[in-house]
Amino acid sequence: MEKFKSIIRDYPFIAFIIAFVILAFVPSLVFTDVYQSHLATLIFVNIVVAAGLNIVKGYCGQVTVGHVGLFAVGSYTAGTLFLYLGLGFWATLPIAIIVTAFFGVAMGIPSFRLEGPYLALATLGGGEAIRLFIENGNFFRSTFGISDIPTPSLMGYNFDSPDRYYFISMTIMIIAVYFSFSILRSGVGRAFMSIREDPICAAAAGINVKKYKILAFILSAMFAGAAGAVYAHMPPGYIHPNNYTVIEMVTFLAMVVLGGLGHIWGGIIGAIVITIVYDLTRPLYKYQLLIFGLTIVLTILFMPKGLGGFIDRYFLEKRFKKKTGTEKTT
Amino acid sequence: MILKTKQLSKSFGGLKAINKVDFELPKNEIRGIIGPNGSGKSTFFNLVSGIYDSDPGSYIEFDGHDITFAPPHEIATYGLSRTFQLLRLYQDMTVIDNVMSGYHTRVPYKFFDAVIGRKKIWDQERAIKEEMMELLSFVGLADYAELNASELSGGQRRLLVLARAIAMKPKLLMLDEPAAGLSPVNVDNLMKIIMQLKEKYGLTLIIIEHILKVVMDTCNSVTVFDHGQKIAEGTPAQVKDDNAVIEAYLGKKMDDEEMRKALAV
Repeated sequence: MEKFKSIIRDYPFIAFIIAFVILAFVPSLVFTDVYQSHLATLIFVNIVVAAGLNIVKGYCGQVTVGHVGLFAVGSYTAGTLFLYLGLGFWATLPIAIIVTAFFGVAMGIPSFRLEGPYLALATLGGGEAIRLFIENGNFFRSTFGISDIPTPSLMGYNFDSPDRYYFISMTIMIIAVYFSFSILRSGVGRAFMSIREDPICAAAAGINVKKYKILAFILSAMFAGAAGAVYAHMPPGYIHPNNYTVIEMVTFLAMVVLGGLGHIWGGIIGAIVITIVYDLTRPLYKYQLLIFGLTIVLTILFMPKGLGGFIDRYFLEKRFKKKTGTEKTT
Repeated sequence: MILKTKQLSKSFGGLKAINKVDFELPKNEIRGIIGPNGSGKSTFFNLVSGIYDSDPGSYIEFDGHDITFAPPHEIATYGLSRTFQLLRLYQDMTVIDNVMSGYHTRVPYKFFDAVIGRKKIWDQERAIKEEMMELLSFVGLADYAELNASELSGGQRRLLVLARAIAMKPKLLMLDEPAAGLSPVNVDNLMKIIMQLKEKYGLTLIIIEHILKVVMDTCNSVTVFDHGQKIAEGTPAQVKDDNAVIEAYLGKKMDDEEMRKALAV
């Protein structure tokens, strides 16, 4: 067991391969109908977005409310590339990631001068502007949405149904989560955190604050772009501007806040919980925003570090007691 | 000379917070900076570390680099580290993360390696962590490594800030009131640790401090600021007897005639 632990420590991707294998067997062993596969794909898409949002908001501390705009950029890059050039998933995914990264730069530039609620307003404007641009341009087929975006196929095998597409979304999710883990556990993650806590002190400690802020925005935009492309190609392959409103933004925020801002698992836990709750409360769609708004407020009031921080805290106090023999209370 | 300023000035509107200061600091010296509140000590630190831009005509040189217009993160990479009067602790990070973030300028790997997550990275990260744990146990905070910085007591926070500033292995360490708010016993303890660290890393030190006993006991030389100007410089003994210094701190020395006049009004 010790040996296994040290192997995982040196080569963390082995843990992700194990997770991949386990998740690969879930549909055939656990799921009872196709809808559950569809739901799982949605969860994976949301995990990718939330993991990216956790980088910029949770770690770097830049309050961005325009992330859904970047998600839309990812989706619509994929959608329009299919519509006008007929490109398939394997071409649209990387292009969507790159294009969204550029939009991330634009979204990040206000953060040089603005912070807190003012940055939130600026990015909210940015996100809404992207949505309105898509909604009012005939180029993007705003009225009816873009439909029949094809599912990917690999070596003759077409991932054309939800239970097949599950594997595509899962693979992307595992890769994205692996990248987010390696980034956040390295010195880069620490630099992000120092900027969140105190930009002036971070600068004095040798961290190039502007560079790292933009880096955080680019990275999270790339995550959002990948998620957007996966979402666009998800069967039945239909996207519409109405899927990228502030309501979606609130759910993304609720995911990160509930999972734990600045916790490495934060976005992932939150995305799983919120997506399932979102699905279960569909009959109460009038009250969904109320539920998620309330979730954010209550989590910040009673669990400022979210579920992830809450669980961490429990184990930390246990360890501290064992080490020093004293109770640590705050 | 490790640090040299010429005609260093900074004004905020009409107020000249620092007015034409020439400052020179040889290597391996411990320099104390004293002066009443508002005399420009902290502004001097902020100018040197690049947090404020100095006025035109100023010149700052650190270790052979012209840093007059350099941004703070660049100055840090040349080996200048500082602490803040208000600590600026990373409250929501663990103690060990606080110290490790001070290591930033020395992190050996490139960003791209970190994204891929190669084995090399985790080896180096562990080496950094071990080194920083050593530093933490040196200042006596090893048991608290996994706690949040916000859970430490006032004295422990001062030690943590010191450790974080040391983590980058600076050539010059500037301490802004390291002992503010500590009890006499803790002050002695802190100064002992600072002296040990100086020996261990071969540091040059600048210390702003209001506790004059600390300055007089530990510093090789003292610079006195008042109203943004350097009014005296020399060994602690020289500075203690300097008329300008006594005037700045206690008021003017008057003869009987002057005193009578002053009281009559």
